[in-house]
This record gives sequence, structure tokens and C-alpha cells, in this order.
Amino acid sequence: MNNLCTDIGYQSVNKFGEQLCGDRVEIIDQSDENHVVVLADGLGSGVKANILSTLTSKIISTMMANGMSLENCVETIAATLPICEMRKVAYSTFTIVRTIDNREAEIIQYDNPQLILLRDGKNYDYPKTAMEIGGKTIYKSKIELHENDFMVFTSDGAIWAGIGSAMNFGWERDQIIEFLEKMYNPEFTAKTMSALLLDECCRLYGGKPGDDTTVCTVKIRERRSVNLMLGPPRDPKDVNKMMSLFFAKEGKHIVCGGTTSTLAGEFLGKPVETLLDYIDPEVPPIAKIEGVDLVTEGVITLSRVLEQAKGYRDADAIYAEWNVKEDGASLISRLLVDEATDINFFVGRAINPAHQNPNLPITFNIKMHLVEELSELLKTIGKRVKVSYF
Amino acid sequence: MKVTVCIGSSCHLKGSRQVVERLQTLVAENNLKEQVELSGKFCMGNCQNGVCVTVDDALFSVSPDTVDDFFKTNILAAL
Repeated sequence: MNNLCTDIGYQSVNKFGEQLCGDRVEIIDQSDENHVVVLADGLGSGVKANILSTLTSKIISTMMANGMSLENCVETIAATLPICEMRKVAYSTFTIVRTIDNREAEIIQYDNPQLILLRDGKNYDYPKTAMEIGGKTIYKSKIELHENDFMVFTSDGAIWAGIGSAMNFGWERDQIIEFLEKMYNPEFTAKTMSALLLDECCRLYGGKPGDDTTVCTVKIRERRSVNLMLGPPRDPKDVNKMMSLFFAKEGKHIVCGGTTSTLAGEFLGKPVETLLDYIDPEVPPIAKIEGVDLVTEGVITLSRVLEQAKGYRDADAIYAEWNVKEDGASLISRLLVDEATDINFFVGRAINPAHQNPNLPITFNIKMHLVEELSELLKTIGKRVKVSYF
Repeated sequence: MKVTVCIGSSCHLKGSRQVVERLQTLVAENNLKEQVELSGKFCMGNCQNGVCVTVDDALFSVSPDTVDDFFKTNILAAL
């Protein structure tokens, strides 16, 4: 057990005019420390490619996760894949990255563009061994991983980007490396890194990708906890218990809600200073309490956080507004989505008597629902989430 | 004089921002920045009557429509 974790994020675009993607990424988490990621690119495009890549990635990831040897996996695929009528071959290229203890990676590459490893923001040349399995040349590497290593791998759609239009021969590995080195920021999540490169490919394609294009990034990062408290406990006697547990947690602390922040201020013996800056007219201003990293209003701010996190999951926009804005909701989103790997919610179930009024749109149920939805969503983007109720 | 506007959830929905911005403008227009300290506070526990505003310790209920009158009667007149 170490203080590292693996952050995996990928994104695809379909060949222009196609409804199905012929690339497929399959991720298997064997535990928090071991992961298998397979990126398969099926021959051709559309349905056929989609089936080939789905079969390939599913078979490899399942077999690898169960400890089967690489030879076995590749032979199984060769024997299973349907043969293309037109081309008389069964074919899907793939890249497998298997991380062990977040410290070591086994990389297996078959015919996809070579994986790029960025270490400290610079391209790192890792050793490769070629081997022959069932008539296919497969490259295998075993490398030790460091914190903030980014392994970026793509389907061949990425290197053909811009061919014939923006460039003569598409952009090559060296140019992709140059691009990644230039864009590099150790704070990027794996998903952001993938989205950045994919976006550039789409740009080179002039918005009409000539092939399915997928970018997948595996990042090794430090575990970081963020704790968020919302609402006072149901039983007022539990205030001290809730506060002590909350502030005893390692990592950053966010306090949401008016009453809650007053209680936190009392517990810490510090005043709550509310600011009056409306950075976003929709989001109430934030406050400051010495010893708390961020103090915001509750339900309205968190509803906005939920929207922003949904945007991140669906990748509507890479440079979303919340990446740079300083309002309460954007600040929370950056902490939860970008910075945290482990999130602890402390949810108080007190019913605010002032809110139980038919004229007010905030009810107890909305608050509880909001927390549930947000924690589920954060889990789907790879966060370890724990919710405690008081 | 200290004027505090509630910016808690329900007062926010009832228009705290408009009240805050209008008060900021009025205070500036009347050159009262030295005399009137504007501040915010999360929930004053009186949500039904929002937007809650206190002038020193007296509690008032203000809405974006009544903020100008409120300023005249309770701030300007009281100075």
C-alpha cells in the first residue's frame, strides 16, 4: 500500500458520419492498486469494427484480470474473432496497460500507435521487447512508475489526423509528443489530458474525423482527500461529535450551508466572514472561516456543482467555465473533480424549520437527493466516495 | 452603522443579490461608505420573511422592490 493511485480517463470520437465507434476501451479494476486497461481498435469502421473491438477488449481484459498469460489471450482472440468477408482477416489492434500497486506497469502493444509516457512533463523512452505470438509481433514492456507519470495511448485515428488537409502525412508521434509536452500540467486529470489531445485531433481533421479516434490516459497520482460537510446533525447534541470527526479528517475541508458554517465557526472559535462578491449571479457568495478551506452556501451551490460534474463526465467542454471561475460552486467542483481522489461527505439530517414552507423551493428531500446524486456521479468518474449521515 | 444582508439559500432565491447590489450602489451614490458597513451573513433563521436585513440589531424584511424605500427610511433617516 502506498499513497499513489491510478487515474484513468478516455474519450472517443466516431469517424465522420458513423454512429458507432470502432474503438473500445475496457477498464477492469482488480482492486484499488491493480488495474487493467485495454484499448482495442477494430478493423474498418461502423458495426463491424465495433464488434471486433468490443470482443477483443472484453476478452483480453477479462482474461488478463483473471491471471491468464498474454499468449493465451492473444490465441483466444485469434480463434474467436469473426473473419471479415471483404478483407479475409480477423483483426483488431490493441494496447494493454496493466498497473500493479500503482508502482509498476506492464504495457503490451499490438499495432496501435506506440504509447507515450510523459515523466515530469517530458517524453520518456521506455524499453520494449518484441515477441512473436501466433504470427503477430507484439511489444511488451515492464516499467516502474513514478508519481505524475502520464501514459497516453491512442487508436491510429489520432496519427492520421490532418492527413491531406492540415498536414501532408498526418501528425506523427514526435508531433504528438511535442503537443503533449507543451500542454502538460501535472494537475490535469487523465480525462482532461485525453480530451485535450482528442480535441486537437478533431481540429486537425477539420471537425470531420476520417477515422474513429480514441485517446486514453493512465495517470499515476498522489491520493488526496477532500471532506465536505453539509447540514447540521439531526440531533443537536451531535454537533460536537460531527465537527470533531469532520475536522479530524486528513485533507481539505469544505463547509456548505448557512447554519452549518455558523456551527463550524462556533466549534473552531472563529468568526464567519461572509463576502459580498457575486462572481456568478446565480451562486451565493462564499464565506471565510479560519481553518476551513472553503465555506459556501448549501443547496443552491451544490446543485450547480452537480451540473458541473455532469458536464465533466459527459465531456461537453474541456475548458468548462468552472475550471477558472472563482464562485463557490466552481471552487467546490475543482476540489472534488480535479483535486480529490477520496471524498468524504458529512451529511447532517437536521430539518431546517425555516425551509419547510410551501413557498420555498428548498426541502429536506431535495438536499438528501442532491447528496446521493452527487456521490453516485463522483463514483462514476473514479472517485472513492464515503457518505456519513448524522 | 452596520447593515447585514442574509445571503442564505432562501433569501438568495428571493433576491439577496439584487438587494445587495442596490444597497452597494445607494451607499456609494450617497457617499456613505465611511458610515455604513455593508456585510453578508448566511441564514438568519427567518427565511419566511426574506430577504432578511439587519441594521445594527434591528431585523427588517426587504425585497428587491422595496430596497430603495428601505434605504431611505431605515438607513438614511437613521444616520
